[in-house]
Amino acid sequence: MLIEYYPAESYVHKLDVRTKALGFLVFTIISFVFLSPLVNLLIVLCACVILFTIGTPLSGIKKILKPLLPIFILMLLITGFTYPASNFISEENRKTLFSLGTVPFTMGGLLLGITLVLRILIMVITSTIVTYTTPIEDILQLLKKIKIPHQFAFIIATGIRFIPTMQKKSEMIQEAQKARGAEIGTGGIIKNIGSYITVLIPLIVDSLRMSDNLAIAMLNRGFGAMKTTTDLTEIKMRTRDYLICLGEAILIVFAFWIRSKNIGVL
Amino acid sequence: MIETLERGSLKVDLLRFKYENSLTDIFNSLNFKIERGEFVGLMGRTGAGKTTTMMLLNGLIPHFIEGELEGNVIANTMNTQRYRVQTMARFIGLVLQDPETQIFGITVERDVAFGPSNLGFGKEKIREVVSKSLKAVGLDGYEKRMTSELSGGEKQRLAIAGVLAMEPEILVLDEPTSELDPAGREEIYKLLSGLKKKGDVTILVSGHDTEEMLEYADRIIVLDDGQKVWEGKPTTLFRNVGLTKKVGIRPPEVAEIGNCLKECGLVNQDSVFVNKDEFLQFTKNHFISFEMPNNGLKKDYSIKNDPVAIETRDLSFNYQKKNSALKELNIKINKGEFVALIGKNGAGKTTFSKQLNGLLRPTNGSVFINGNDISRLTTAQLSKEVGYVFQNPDHQIFSATVYDEVEFGLKKMNLTEKIRSTRINNALEFVGLEKFKNRHPFTLGKGERQKLAFATVLAMEPKILIIDEPTTGQDWDGTNKMMEMLDKLHKQGHTILMITHNMLLAAEYADRVIVFSNGKVVLDGPPEKVFYESEILRSASVTAPDCVILAGELRSTGYKNYPVTINELQNDLLEQLAWKGNVN
Repeated sequence: MLIEYYPAESYVHKLDVRTKALGFLVFTIISFVFLSPLVNLLIVLCACVILFTIGTPLSGIKKILKPLLPIFILMLLITGFTYPASNFISEENRKTLFSLGTVPFTMGGLLLGITLVLRILIMVITSTIVTYTTPIEDILQLLKKIKIPHQFAFIIATGIRFIPTMQKKSEMIQEAQKARGAEIGTGGIIKNIGSYITVLIPLIVDSLRMSDNLAIAMLNRGFGAMKTTTDLTEIKMRTRDYLICLGEAILIVFAFWIRSKNIGVL
Repeated sequence: MIETLERGSLKVDLLRFKYENSLTDIFNSLNFKIERGEFVGLMGRTGAGKTTTMMLLNGLIPHFIEGELEGNVIANTMNTQRYRVQTMARFIGLVLQDPETQIFGITVERDVAFGPSNLGFGKEKIREVVSKSLKAVGLDGYEKRMTSELSGGEKQRLAIAGVLAMEPEILVLDEPTSELDPAGREEIYKLLSGLKKKGDVTILVSGHDTEEMLEYADRIIVLDDGQKVWEGKPTTLFRNVGLTKKVGIRPPEVAEIGNCLKECGLVNQDSVFVNKDEFLQFTKNHFISFEMPNNGLKKDYSIKNDPVAIETRDLSFNYQKKNSALKELNIKINKGEFVALIGKNGAGKTTFSKQLNGLLRPTNGSVFINGNDISRLTTAQLSKEVGYVFQNPDHQIFSATVYDEVEFGLKKMNLTEKIRSTRINNALEFVGLEKFKNRHPFTLGKGERQKLAFATVLAMEPKILIIDEPTTGQDWDGTNKMMEMLDKLHKQGHTILMITHNMLLAAEYADRVIVFSNGKVVLDGPPEKVFYESEILRSASVTAPDCVILAGELRSTGYKNYPVTINELQNDLLEQLAWKGNVN
């Protein structure tokens, strides 16, 4: 999952949600324009600089990246073995590093694999920057501005609100099951899936019950009494937002211009 | 006759109500009226129809929860059949039991603003009502806090603030204190009575809180089995101990003595005392001075030589890098003891208990169960020796039948099918669920699910039992039944550790009380000793049972005993009266 919003006073916190959303788009698009890992590595470095200067907790990022690690390795292997040498322009990349039986593992495949991994990294890091620095209300207003129905936005907000609740519930259920002999988190994968059922069923039943109560509580709080609701704060673009947006636009045009010169290909 | 109802008043005129999927009517005629500005308590046992009544008041029934309804409910001059719930919400605020599912915002401020912004209040107005309602519930200064980081009591107060912010004329609360400790409970009632004094808010609150209802409510309505069985002043209700017991409400402690004296013909019905002052007035008026023979006799605390069941050596524990949650605990609990662990929320009771079956591991020090260091044993392995019953049964139930649910733990123990089946039947019989063997657990009521969770632990036949808050959210009957079971297990030789906020239960059932405060044990001993350490108890935010306070007040009359239950005090009083020849 993403890192939750944390109220602080960093320079990214002060930007408008639209500036940040555009930044996220620009970084992601650029990462898809180039195939060379070098360009993407540069973007990752830039993103990391922003990430660390706004004081994001490292432990949270570790938690996000850890489960992705096997996927990264799998991606490297698959691209390395499946991309035939003929796909690459440069002689260097057509080289076979080693072969598994008759299947060659190419240099280009490895580099492409790294690019794919870096793309995911870029998306994870930039979206973390957005969620860490932007209160959910601002994101909802962004959705409202692009004409997404209020109900839909409300579902998202409530969903996010309940993430910590469900995490706590899941911990409590695990404790209750362990206390009567369930072995959760020990043993092989198959055994583990079996033992998670004892956690999943109470969790699902509990969520169903909670969703019933939530629906009632929504009515009690007048949800749907009026056609529109009052927004407490209005998102607002300032001069620095316009300047940064301009910079972001220039960046993406520049990126396409470089790409058209055949730089950053494999 | 055309009745003109005032704003802020409530009127229920029901002929009949039946839930859609139910076979029988839940109400057969229910009539009551509440005037503007009144503070009314709604009492009665679980299942009497209190929640249903409250859902009728703002139109949740029949608009959201359907059923067959005949009759009218008029709240704030509006007939609930004609308005949407959302529209009614502007005038009648309903706070339900579980605060967790009534919080929508990620920050406190945003959550309180949810209601008013749904109602289309202006921005300035919203800011004003948000800060006003947070102040009213004592959460001012919490505006920017994350709602997920609040404690149970704070969440409950936030849920009330969220409804207050819509500026309702009527406030209805369904068991707002059921999950709170005594301090939190007192706070909620103080808050409500403060609201009542300040403005014209009409308040209806349900709950099992005898003492608070007595102190704060103007009027009590008692429901039993879908009928209004009684209505009137709280003092009148609680003077009538026979009636309160009949409708499943716990009488105040002193009223039991009063009732007993009434039966001896010493006081009449109207002067059965319901509070300490009235009791002390009685002893003064009757010039009672204690001279009976057993006055001041020392109880026998012979040292038992039972083997040690639980021992902790220099046990310390911290959650992550925060302050330590447990500080160098050295506790020895003998086999067969019934220990009550008390202390306010966050004092370390649950954290300590979870060390005993390995759910948490000590940061420093060690834990021994039956003489063995448990650091190498998993929780699952320990489950055969240490049974742990959690508060919420729904956190463990996952099987399709009651029988399978109990079998789950046994399957892990490599027992033959025959032994398993005997154990399951024994456990189910013990908790009184044998006739539900093939039922689906979720078709059982909450009290029965609690018993089922208890049976799943009992079937594994652990010799040590840890029970976390066995009576939370239960009515008086449920509490008594649960305690009878624990008492029976204790007599069979089980070692029992009970975490509780209910001092009456600790005093009556436990033979040892351990008081936690800030991760340390501040008192440890028999209830007769612990509950008379008033200074230390106060610093640990624990209030002793009423009879302890009364015994203290009676010292000037020469009373020298240390009763911890009202029965003991009552017996002493009767003995004294008999000794003087007043009573036979």
